[in-house]
Amino acid sequence: MEKDTVTFAIMLSVIDFFLSMVLISGIGVILWLLPFLNRLGKLDEESMRRGH
Amino acid sequence: MFFDEMLHFFGQMAAQTGLAQFWWGNVLMIAVGIAMILLAIIKKYEPLLLVGIGFSCIISNVPGSDLVLPGGLFHYAYEGVQLLILPPLIFFGVGAMTDFGPMIANPKLVILGAAAHLGIFVALIGAKLLGFTIYEAGAIGIIGGADGPMAIFMTMKLAPHLLPQISVAAYSYMALMPLIQPPVMKLLTSKRERQIRMKQMRTVSRVERIAFPIVIGIVVNLLLPPVAPLITMLMLGNLFKEVLVTERLAKAAANEVMNVVIVILTIAIGSTMGADKFLTGATIEIVALGLLAFLCGTASGVIGAKIMNLFLEEKINPLLGSAGIASVPIAARVAHVVALQDDPENFLIYHAMGPNLAGVFGTALSGGIMLALLQ
Repeated sequence: MEKDTVTFAIMLSVIDFFLSMVLISGIGVILWLLPFLNRLGKLDEESMRRGH
Repeated sequence: MFFDEMLHFFGQMAAQTGLAQFWWGNVLMIAVGIAMILLAIIKKYEPLLLVGIGFSCIISNVPGSDLVLPGGLFHYAYEGVQLLILPPLIFFGVGAMTDFGPMIANPKLVILGAAAHLGIFVALIGAKLLGFTIYEAGAIGIIGGADGPMAIFMTMKLAPHLLPQISVAAYSYMALMPLIQPPVMKLLTSKRERQIRMKQMRTVSRVERIAFPIVIGIVVNLLLPPVAPLITMLMLGNLFKEVLVTERLAKAAANEVMNVVIVILTIAIGSTMGADKFLTGATIEIVALGLLAFLCGTASGVIGAKIMNLFLEEKINPLLGSAGIASVPIAARVAHVVALQDDPENFLIYHAMGPNLAGVFGTALSGGIMLALLQ
């Protein structure tokens, strides 16, 4: 398809907008899963700050 | 005869000075540079950027020197932009000074970081209708993402000749957001909606804060390699900040590195603002499209939040939608201030930072998809 047209611009915009919504929702899912990492343990922030 | 020779000699001398090339366009652009500096000093609009851009705009419009020519000092500053070194380094500093906690604490708000970017595509289509090429339209559209380094990155990839107009439009509108956004926000929301109070957010653990940049760096770069330089440096800076054992590196990134890069970046942007390149009809069109992008982005973010409320039991304040525009932390602060006008005890700033930070990813995702489809 010829890229330098208004039709392509509209198609690009629709695809880009909805795809970015899908991808950022995926990031949202990843963020929702992050708290499960807390089951691995807790980090001692004081010793982390002291140790360098 | 002697008099003729003297006249000829002085004529040759004058022809070698900048005066011989000086035209009214240079005068106008020098006035623009002075206006930028005054806005920075008096109104305090983005002083870290406008002073440097304004001054180098002035100097670039004094013809005769070779500062902006290949081999000149300003030219090397521009090379940093052209080679896409400076925008990722800006993101490095941004990552080192950013607390992504509000975004991690409330994952459902990240979708507002994409909803508020409809303005990008309105501007893109508008630019195409005005006769810009699809690549120029893509670069103009990204102004609506309200992310300076991303705007520069995309412009250098798609339409480098439009760098002065796009970067000036992007940074100017970011500084003017407290004036541009509130009328749109109030038009689209009722007082009752603006008074919605958000629940206290959970505390985000250190483990989550450390995992975040690593996981996001892997996932986003896998899906969208074109924006890998920006996301990688953003996440690296944030990782330096969150691991706590590299505090001096995080401080250097947020301060010394950031300051040096800002100086070079502003010189580079201002150096491209020569009258011959800037004083064109395209500049006025780009400025108008940039404003349209910001207005539409604000509206789409607020509307996006209202659509979310149709499905949520616990309603969110729709003003948070306008914070989905990536200008961190200005958009979040605007949402907070507008909420306070209707309820002096409704402190939205921490909640608004969530979609505001998500907006950085929203712009990167929109830009990355655009690059993947266009290149």
